[in-house]
Amino acid sequence: MRRTFSILLRNPLSLLGLILVSAVVLSAVFADFIAPFPLHRGAVVDFANFNKPPEWPYIFGTDLVGRDLFSRILYAYRISLILGVVVLAIAVPIGVAIGLFAGYLGGWTEYVLMRITDVFLSIPPLVLAMSMMGLLEPTLTNGMIAVTAMWWPWYTRLVYNLARSEKEEGYVLAAEVIGASKLHVMFREILPNCVPSILTKMTLDLGFVILIASSLSFLGLGVQPPTPDLGSMVADGAKYLPDSWWLTVFPGLAILVAVFGFNLIGDALREILGAEQ
Amino acid sequence: MNTLRIRDLTLGFKGWSGTVEVLHGISLHIGRGERVALVGESGSGKSVTARIVLGLLQSLRSTRLSGLVEFEGRDLSKLSERERHALRGTKMSMIFQDPTSSLNPVYPILTQFHEVLRRADPAINLTGARARAEKALADVSITDPSRALDSYPFQLSGGMNQRVMIAMALANDPSLLIADEPGTALDVTVQAQTLRLMREQVERHGTSVLFISHNLGVVREFADRVYVIYKGRIAEQGPTAALFEDPRHPYTRALLDAVPRITGDGIPEIEDASDAYFAPTEVHEGYGEPEGAA
Repeated sequence: MRRTFSILLRNPLSLLGLILVSAVVLSAVFADFIAPFPLHRGAVVDFANFNKPPEWPYIFGTDLVGRDLFSRILYAYRISLILGVVVLAIAVPIGVAIGLFAGYLGGWTEYVLMRITDVFLSIPPLVLAMSMMGLLEPTLTNGMIAVTAMWWPWYTRLVYNLARSEKEEGYVLAAEVIGASKLHVMFREILPNCVPSILTKMTLDLGFVILIASSLSFLGLGVQPPTPDLGSMVADGAKYLPDSWWLTVFPGLAILVAVFGFNLIGDALREILGAEQ
Repeated sequence: MNTLRIRDLTLGFKGWSGTVEVLHGISLHIGRGERVALVGESGSGKSVTARIVLGLLQSLRSTRLSGLVEFEGRDLSKLSERERHALRGTKMSMIFQDPTSSLNPVYPILTQFHEVLRRADPAINLTGARARAEKALADVSITDPSRALDSYPFQLSGGMNQRVMIAMALANDPSLLIADEPGTALDVTVQAQTLRLMREQVERHGTSVLFISHNLGVVREFADRVYVIYKGRIAEQGPTAALFEDPRHPYTRALLDAVPRITGDGIPEIEDASDAYFAPTEVHEGYGEPEGAA
């Protein structure tokens, strides 16, 4: 663990990733203390200061009803991170378990489970999430459900392939020979050997989940106003380009920073964990 | 009573294009404490025989089995899946070609040893397992058992891992040990050392061994009796010394001629699979299969 950390610090790119991600996480956690206008995350109207370009005390400018964009971005990070973590916390165990069963048991189990997975994979992810959100009410919870529904099949694919190759390893046969149960072989022998790949993908995906959730709310299908959300902020501001550029640029940059940061860390993890094998 | 008795065993795998016959009625037996080698080239049916004995193939839907496999007088085909499962790891165990890949890289040796011991004694705790494992590792001449137990498989050498495997395989005092080309992945000197060690250990435990190999030199060192298997048929069977001195089946002769020698004419040309190879089993006098019930 300590070694992993020191390798992260030595590589300038992963160091940058670490800084970006820490900045995002810290600003989400401590939004209440950092935000100059904590109340602006809600339905506040201040027409005296509406649509102001970046200037003190509004360092990112204000939106069309006079709310501080910087404060709103901090709170939007909080929601994006919660969404990302919850989606992965549900999608990963489901995807991993299905992948393990399909990859290890084979036969009909594999056929049925993987064809179901393929059905989900064959629908373009955004379309699947959009149609689900169209059916359900556009709220944060339903947004999580929709993104989870499109996310688990990727983990099933990943773990399925890993399990298929691990299954041929000597230690799996050795475990079967001494009479280990199927569940034991799947979860105690094969799964621990898949953990590095799963962890790497999770780190990479945290950024992408945030991106997809933002895309959904950009289309008006995600979190609803007045809750701050990076995607809907970009969408609202896009109508006033190029004059009120700060309305789009800062939320857009915020998305970029988060996704870029998680990607850099994911890449670094892939290298470190891959090299250890 | 024989530890293992196989009679007219045939095996086929049903695939898309009909059934592929793998074993065409082989018979063999292993007496108590006897070391028996099954020798043949790749694809001759050695390893599937081992898997049938372990009961790993019976549950496959594509398997077509007939014939008798008797372990300590119990017909395996009459046992339930649960009863066959109970035999594995307790009464039967196995050693593999590549010791390092046979150990799970994510757990230290102790954890894996504990799991092996738990098969026979489900109540054993980590402290008890540690004591027994240390003794078992000392028996296979590992000088610092405690350190080895806390290591991960990739931190130990291949030879060390092989010893660990031997210790694990014999930890529950099985009556049958199946060694599938043990140590083929190791270099020759280490292989020789661990084989000697394995021989000592099985003698001490009184374990019967089914030794599967294509390496005739190793077989000559290790086995009491030899079965030569060729394309799913037993080509020749007899005591090791006699079989090496007086090979009667053309395939056995070809196999022996194929062993590289320091002097002589080098490796001879062997015509692959002449009709003579499918001649009936050559049985050395007094070494046939026991008749009737065991």
